[in-house]
Amino acid sequence: MTKQVDSTSTGSVDRREFLKGAAAGAAGAAGAIVSGTASSQQAPANARPAVTRPTEADARADFVPPEPRVDARFIRHPGSDYMVDVLKALDFDYVAVNPGSAFEGLHESIINHGGNRKPEILTVLHEEAGAAMAHGYAKAAGKPMMTLMHGTVGLLHAGMGLFHAWCDRVPVFAIVGQPRNPTSVINRPHSAQDMGSIARDFMKMDDEPTNLDVFANIAMRAYTIGMTPPRGPTLLVIDSELQEAAIPDPSKLTIPRLSMPSMPQGDSAAVKEAARLLATAERPLIRTGKLARTSAGWDRLLELAELLQAPVDVGGYGSWQDFPSWHALYGSGGADYRPDVILGLEINDMTPSVRQLRAAGGKTISICSEYLSQGHNIHDFGNYSEVDVAIAADGEATLPSLIEEIRKQSTGNATRLRTARGAQIAAAHKAIRESEIDAARYGWNSSPVSVPRMVAELGRQIQNDDWAIVSGHQFTGQWQRRLLNHDKFYRYNGDSGGFGIGYDTPASVGGALAHREHGRLPIAIVGDGDFNFVGAGALWTAAHHKIPLLVIVHNNRAYHAEVMLVQRTASRRGRGNDMVDIGNVIRDPAPDYAKIAQGYGIYAEGPIADPTALGPALERALARVRAGEPALLDVVSQPRGPT
Amino acid sequence: MKHRKLAAPLACVAVASGLLAAVSLSAQQQTQPVTGDAARGKPLFSDTFNCYACHGFDAQSGERRLVPLNYTQEGFITFVQNSPLPNMPAFPDASPQQLADIYAYIRTIPADAPALREVPLLNDILARKTRAAAE
Repeated sequence: MTKQVDSTSTGSVDRREFLKGAAAGAAGAAGAIVSGTASSQQAPANARPAVTRPTEADARADFVPPEPRVDARFIRHPGSDYMVDVLKALDFDYVAVNPGSAFEGLHESIINHGGNRKPEILTVLHEEAGAAMAHGYAKAAGKPMMTLMHGTVGLLHAGMGLFHAWCDRVPVFAIVGQPRNPTSVINRPHSAQDMGSIARDFMKMDDEPTNLDVFANIAMRAYTIGMTPPRGPTLLVIDSELQEAAIPDPSKLTIPRLSMPSMPQGDSAAVKEAARLLATAERPLIRTGKLARTSAGWDRLLELAELLQAPVDVGGYGSWQDFPSWHALYGSGGADYRPDVILGLEINDMTPSVRQLRAAGGKTISICSEYLSQGHNIHDFGNYSEVDVAIAADGEATLPSLIEEIRKQSTGNATRLRTARGAQIAAAHKAIRESEIDAARYGWNSSPVSVPRMVAELGRQIQNDDWAIVSGHQFTGQWQRRLLNHDKFYRYNGDSGGFGIGYDTPASVGGALAHREHGRLPIAIVGDGDFNFVGAGALWTAAHHKIPLLVIVHNNRAYHAEVMLVQRTASRRGRGNDMVDIGNVIRDPAPDYAKIAQGYGIYAEGPIADPTALGPALERALARVRAGEPALLDVVSQPRGPT
Repeated sequence: MKHRKLAAPLACVAVASGLLAAVSLSAQQQTQPVTGDAARGKPLFSDTFNCYACHGFDAQSGERRLVPLNYTQEGFITFVQNSPLPNMPAFPDASPQQLADIYAYIRTIPADAPALREVPLLNDILARKTRAAAE
């Protein structure tokens, strides 16, 4: 046998010949085992012929593609391929995935049928992180991201992230797999009679298609409903069998065209009345909540404020960055400014404004898409307010017609009066700005590092970059807006909306992903409490997908708001305060966040408690981020900033 | 019903007695001058009463700033024991001695906030902010 595969006997042997010979040799060897030693002694006449070059016919036969394997387990056109085609029509760039067997069909189709492009899979280590990334991404990109979840367990994990998106009025396109006929003990708990009910309290809609036609219909509806103000997350429950089964007749399926509705604008008569009040007001004030969905909303608000020379109060927690934070009109007009007309734009509770003006006989106007909300279980919709002009419409979409009406109704001397008003407001705001900066010097040299010092040192390093703060400011107060010039729509991505912990770090990764294609420098300042939820795993996603992002851990080693709350309760009950840190502090041992980040493959430094060490550390970390990678600084900080 | 009718006056008496006792105790305590010890005050500030949680570890980087402290010792004790502010709990159980110790500790913290002109970074921010507002 050895002799027969000896290449020297037949000249050169190409790969095909070699494989052919190897097969023959293997067959001979098997025969030898069966026939025992006697076979080796047989005459060469019984041996197989020597290897020869193939004929042309042999070659043609070898190059004919193999027949498709036909058996019951082979699916040529699975339903999930069609689903991917439909999803591509919705122009998703990314889908957050933590794998699960309830959507393995869709997962495989995204990779192999869709080529892992539009959407591209973003591997996440927790479904809550995936939902938060989609939330942060949508605000920064202006379009939704998908997130895929396993039946029940994945959806429950994602629940907190989806809840935040609901409260923040941000679209997330969520899909949960449904093992419809679970046969294994593992998948039974992952199936549900009404899967959508698990998250229905914080979904703008949910539905479970029964066939592929209906899937396409519902996918389009979910997208348009989620993107129409008041925006919110939507949920599709997708049967695993619908994903897996072959499409009965692909020629009968079509991909619907996305037909986005225009955004709801205010009734023209009501807008006219609002314009009249504002045009004739002596001291108008504009208050905003979640107004600017796009940069156009930012531009129009700027136009309105400058037209009226009215101060703009963008609010505190939960508000978006609707107006430039260093603008002369940014603020409430100063302590002596007594508004006679307050315009609320996307403020879901005008009660404080109504109370403020009622005694003085002032007027309140509300333009808000919350009036179009159908009501849900979560009490985030605010109080009913007795405003004078209530307009059920999207604030951003209504601003152009409002501005036009104000221009029409402005009298000849309006410009002169408004200019004088603007100068007074600017002077009052100037004094406030100076006192705020003055407050920043307290604790300037303290260790741990003060919050204003942390933000100011960051500002020094990024003043020549096109930066974006992709975390909220719930735990840093107003210092970001005070010390960093939020002069563009995308400078600040807003808070979670629902004020649960765990949003900031993963949402920052999503926001940073949206900024990556624009070459912006994304930065997140996250609390240590927030980071400890699902933040560390989110860093891995940033490292794996090469998403540049600087994460500064505002590490005050406690849930300090709760320290104060328990302290207040203990004091009211006269029980002393020496025990109130139990359950509230993160010490003994103090986590080393730099080491945690390094473990996930991230450049990191810390803990940094010396304020003079912060600047150089920022410089090193930002160099990494500018080069396209994530980095983390663990900054040991004072509990909160001075006011 | 009998018990309920009886219970209310008893409760009133108890509350009134408690108030009287508290008032007289407070008056008695305040008549006895105490001398604070800063070394004892530091752990009281940081651990026992967790003052740092609002006011910062340095008593000046939180809300409200305690450095420089403008209260007299007596005024400080009275205020902390009876704070009327919604965000500042009253600490009726804190003894005058403990509060005097905390007072002494806070007084040792240098009011080292540099003058604004000595912080170039903040001056630069203020200048840029002023320019942005003027544009």
